[in-house]
Amino acid sequence: MFDGLVRAWNLFPNALAAALLIAVVCSALGVFVLLKRVVFIGITLSEIAALGIALSMAFELPPILGAGILTLASVTMLAAPLESVRLPKDAVMGTVFVLASGLAILVVARSGFGLHEVKTLLYGDIILTSPADLAVMAAVLLPVFAAFLLFLRPILYCSLDRDAARVMGMRVMFWELVYFYCLGLAVSSASKTAGGLLVFCYLVVPPAAGLLLMKRLIPLMLVSTGLAVVATILGITWSLNHDLPANQTIAVAACVLLVGAFLLRAGKHRLIRRRNDVQEH
Amino acid sequence: MSAEAIIACMGVYVYYGQEEILRDVTFEVKRGAFFPLVGPNGAGKSTLLKVLLGLVRCAQGRINTPFDRHPPGYVPQQASIDPMYPVTLRDIVAMGLYPRTGWWRRRVSEARRSMAEAINRVGLSGHESKSFLELSGGMRQKTLIARALVNGPDVLVLDEPTAGLDEESQREVLTHLMRLKEEHGTTVLMAHHGEYLLNGLAEEVCEIQHGRVLLRKPSDV
Repeated sequence: MFDGLVRAWNLFPNALAAALLIAVVCSALGVFVLLKRVVFIGITLSEIAALGIALSMAFELPPILGAGILTLASVTMLAAPLESVRLPKDAVMGTVFVLASGLAILVVARSGFGLHEVKTLLYGDIILTSPADLAVMAAVLLPVFAAFLLFLRPILYCSLDRDAARVMGMRVMFWELVYFYCLGLAVSSASKTAGGLLVFCYLVVPPAAGLLLMKRLIPLMLVSTGLAVVATILGITWSLNHDLPANQTIAVAACVLLVGAFLLRAGKHRLIRRRNDVQEH
Repeated sequence: MSAEAIIACMGVYVYYGQEEILRDVTFEVKRGAFFPLVGPNGAGKSTLLKVLLGLVRCAQGRINTPFDRHPPGYVPQQASIDPMYPVTLRDIVAMGLYPRTGWWRRRVSEARRSMAEAINRVGLSGHESKSFLELSGGMRQKTLIARALVNGPDVLVLDEPTAGLDEESQREVLTHLMRLKEEHGTTVLMAHHGEYLLNGLAEEVCEIQHGRVLLRKPSDV
């Protein structure tokens, strides 16, 4: 693995740095995507970001601008409580997902982009990360990650027990928006290079593995980011060795690690049960 | 509002859509009282507590509480906390310190002492590192009570704190609450499903039936 890492670093330093940066930030933010039970938001935001990128390219604007504006606008709408209109949040997210996916294709179809540009735009390719892409991503993701860590306590409390938080005088809606803006900015800045699938994978798969293994928040976030980093290194190494697409290989590696975490947990539980049985007898 | 009252509710009406949940609700809670709200499921007990806490708006009427200046200790129903959250008993009690520490301040030794004291008061010392998922129903309820107590509130508001507990655990929780009232003068306002365990504990119960309230002695039950 170490040789593969050195080789990947020598060949594609920007790609490796970008993938590791996205892996760490998205897998940490993803812990709350799972805890808040809004998994669908990950893929919806990725599609919205793709639409924003498509629109930006059609109007010759910087991609991050369109992706950022559209994603933040959508996040503001999705974070609003919709109970009063008797519409499940999933239904709203599903509709936004369908609309964003459809519109992205329509915008691309009406533009003069070639097939390769269209594929890169819609699915991303981490290997093609340029120094400029990396710089823009770092400029967005690092402050977002810092803000998320700084405000972790109010974000956790408002998510854990909304009513109690309000009684304590916390501005629940404000802190919810802080989290969703962090998520929106991370997804919009990562989507152009990493693509929807990989960003969604980082938001869901490593945090799910962490949830299987850990019982406390900070260790869970550490395991989640650790597994995302390992999946990234494994994925890039495999993709280089076997000439496979990097994004999809990283996603598969993350899923393999999730299965490993599941087996580890099952084995641990069986061991504990057997030990308890022995003690009872 | 009389001088000895800490909470007053005057002519309060609450609607969910077209449905009337509370109708012309008027009562006062005296400082240091143990004040149970009783009634069947769906009678409006939790809604009334949420109106007092400012979580639900009333369509009409007036409410006087000191909660803007002194947040009460609030114990929601156990089910309000998703057990999937990777939090320990200590983490949940620490949440109660937020009004004192805010997001920017670390927990100083004084806050840590308050936490240890609150956990000790509900008899959960030694279980601080257990995850919420691992705790029994009674222990979860006591954890939420410890969180509500950690800031030393004047008023404790509890939404069915004995729901889902066996009779022994119910008695234990109620005894804890009575001790708090007697030792610290805490006003206890509590939604409670049954009534028989309240005999001898409260001077007055507030019965809610079809959105209306009736104040009476528990001995009348």
